[in-house]
Amino acid sequence: MDYILSIVVLACINMIAVLGLSIFTGFTGLFSLGHAAFVGVGAYTSAILTYYYSVPFPFALAAGAAAAGVVSLVIGIPTLRAKLRSDYFAIAILGFGEALRVILENLDITNGARGLPGIDSFTTLPVVLICLAGGVLVARNFLRSRWGVACIAIREDPIAAEMAGVRLFRTRLLSLVVSAVYCGLSGGLLAHFLSFIQPVMFTLLQSTQLLAAVIAGGMGSISGPLIASFVFIALPEALRVAQMWRLVAYGLLLVLIMVYRPQGLMGYSELSSLFRRKKAEPVRRQP
Amino acid sequence: MFLQTLITGLSIGGIYALMAVGYSLVFSVLNFSNFAHGAVIMLGAYVGLALATKLNFGFGLVLAGSVAGAGIIAVLNEKLAYSSLRRRKAPSLYLMISAMGCAVFLENLVYATIGSRFYAFPEFFGRQVVTMFGSSLSLLDVGAFLFALTAILGLHLFISRTRTGIAIRAGVCDMTMCSLMGVDLNRLISIVFLLAGAFAGVAGVFLGIKYLVYPTMGWVTNKAYIAAVIGGLGSLPGALAGGLILGVVETFVSTYVSSVLRDVFSFSLLIAFLVWRPNGLLGIDSEDKV
Amino acid sequence: MTTMERPLFSVKGLTKYFDGIRAVDSFSFDVTEGSITGIIGPNGAGKTTVFNIVTGIYRPTCGEVLFRGENISGQRPDRIVRKGIARTFQNIRLFNRRSCLDNVITPLFQRERCGFLGSLLGTPGARKMERDLYERAFGLLKDLGLEKFASMQANTLPYGLQRKLEIARALATDPALLLLDEPAAGMNPEETRSLANLIAEVREKFKVTILLIEHHMDLVMNICSPIVVMNFGTLLARGTPDEVRENPDVVAAYLGNRKERK
Repeated sequence: MDYILSIVVLACINMIAVLGLSIFTGFTGLFSLGHAAFVGVGAYTSAILTYYYSVPFPFALAAGAAAAGVVSLVIGIPTLRAKLRSDYFAIAILGFGEALRVILENLDITNGARGLPGIDSFTTLPVVLICLAGGVLVARNFLRSRWGVACIAIREDPIAAEMAGVRLFRTRLLSLVVSAVYCGLSGGLLAHFLSFIQPVMFTLLQSTQLLAAVIAGGMGSISGPLIASFVFIALPEALRVAQMWRLVAYGLLLVLIMVYRPQGLMGYSELSSLFRRKKAEPVRRQP
Repeated sequence: MFLQTLITGLSIGGIYALMAVGYSLVFSVLNFSNFAHGAVIMLGAYVGLALATKLNFGFGLVLAGSVAGAGIIAVLNEKLAYSSLRRRKAPSLYLMISAMGCAVFLENLVYATIGSRFYAFPEFFGRQVVTMFGSSLSLLDVGAFLFALTAILGLHLFISRTRTGIAIRAGVCDMTMCSLMGVDLNRLISIVFLLAGAFAGVAGVFLGIKYLVYPTMGWVTNKAYIAAVIGGLGSLPGALAGGLILGVVETFVSTYVSSVLRDVFSFSLLIAFLVWRPNGLLGIDSEDKV
Repeated sequence: MTTMERPLFSVKGLTKYFDGIRAVDSFSFDVTEGSITGIIGPNGAGKTTVFNIVTGIYRPTCGEVLFRGENISGQRPDRIVRKGIARTFQNIRLFNRRSCLDNVITPLFQRERCGFLGSLLGTPGARKMERDLYERAFGLLKDLGLEKFASMQANTLPYGLQRKLEIARALATDPALLLLDEPAAGMNPEETRSLANLIAEVREKFKVTILLIEHHMDLVMNICSPIVVMNFGTLLARGTPDEVRENPDVVAAYLGNRKERK
């Protein structure tokens, strides 16, 4: 039972990070190969706060999420202002994530590459579920708001979006910060669940896993990536597959999706839309 | 000391350049960052290692075998993971993600089957040392540097002088037009990947001899890609220049500043180039048109 | 009306080089408030480039774009939109995978002041604003006869309706000047006629000044006055439809007259 519980908690923690990346990648159309670094920033910030300074857990979580948001500004401002090609942007964030990990490995307060052991395990299933539910709700509201609508417009056509009055740089930056905050929250929860964190947990490989969940789940969908992320974590855990074989499968999956089904599981639609049939008027072609 | 550092930097830079050539070659034709290239380099090194240890081949045969092996792997990689994306004109980002998937797949496949052990090549060059300008340099370093120079020069001549090379350069300019003019696009792209793979084979053997052979030796975060960006993705002279500059600068930073900061420095350099000079030092303009 | 004193919009000495090629070369013209001004000219004359400069997508090499007396050249596209210039595109650029309603609500939302936290938490106030905006968006679709298609995905609409939807989206930014880039491209004569009516209606109803690029001569000659003729990036002629039709330079540019080649 404990084992199943821990799988569910881990999956939910991962889903929060995937939710964030989904806002950034699935809804704003920008790809990132560095979001694991924001998970790392959240994990270390909150862990250091509870470990060294005995800050209450909720405040530490919030601080971790906020720190991830602030750190994302450092990379977001120069790269998004420069309007990089989308693949260059993904790579710039990759470089940033790796640089951040090297820094984590060499600070005293993070205890370097050996990692930080003995963090209190405050993260319980109810805590995680509340965070996840809140996260989904806020994400949904965000995507319906002025800013979310602008994000989606940018994904569809940046130039047309600008001509609709969308501020390109600010909106993209906001989307990055929001996604980083989600990742930071996920990191804080992770640190206080595993009670041990290490810089190697937040590498390009983890970023690739997050991106794989978003792409496999489907761009422009909230439910798709959540399902994909749950399956990605729970299935191999349940089948007790070794980590490296999981990665073999993730890699293969990414290639197969790109080749055969680039829209992913639920591309541009939600689970809820399967249950209600839209009444669309038939299109009459003009004579 | 200064000269020693410089030569060490140049030899590392030479290997970076050999690896960067593969990134640039593919980028120049297909306009995407082929992250699987690092995995091909790694597989090339394993092929060379198998030939050297299992069959006791000499250096020349090991190199030839690795070149052939990596070349074939690169072509297969293109056929299986990129060709259908290319045909339906998918955005270059999709190709990049597919490449990332290949890199993760191949690396962990090796990790899961062969294992994470570090293997060493037999000592082809021993610990021979040449003395130059009053400092002693390992034969391997000098050899690697000179070999890299010759190979890249050879490739440059191939691209600029031969019929196939000219077809590749035409493909760089306009693929659709090129195929309308009767160039077999699939064959052309296979040749490009064969060349990139061949260089991956050479780079894999040198990298394996200089350091060791292990699954993550070609992982994306190695410096070759950064070198290609600095020089300008898509430019062969750029790959050479970028590799050498990065090798030298890195060696100086780790010698005179701090070896910890070396990687942070390289990644910062990558970001700085992407933001302020995305076409690199010698790259061609690849701006999206409105 | 103070239209005679100062034009709503004018371009002065506009020049744009692309890698040494002069796409637009010291081009100047005015647009009076309330008019439907047409820009015509052979392919490659630089018409769309002028639109791209005016809307801030390109930076001019030199020259001024004056809107209500203020030089707006080189400003960010979204700023220019806020000042009151909207446009459509020659090759339709809709938010393809969104519904027609969402296409129109995007610009409506950008004009509102919303509380960030309120929106995230979904407060009743934020909800109400959202509902109001959807109603306004629906009203706009209705004005252009698109209300039946409100929930349909934009790229599933027939071509002519996509062009209309683009106009609806541009109107949602509440413009004073509307730029239409070949609105009748790919339309048959009947569709073109109904578009001409629509453009005239839009001008009345939304009190906008219209500047349009078009190749369909009957459309231009029917609804535009004045007409500005461009050739090789420069102003070739300007006048009423009749003046333009009889101008020898214009005839030469379109038919190719050896004597006129300089």
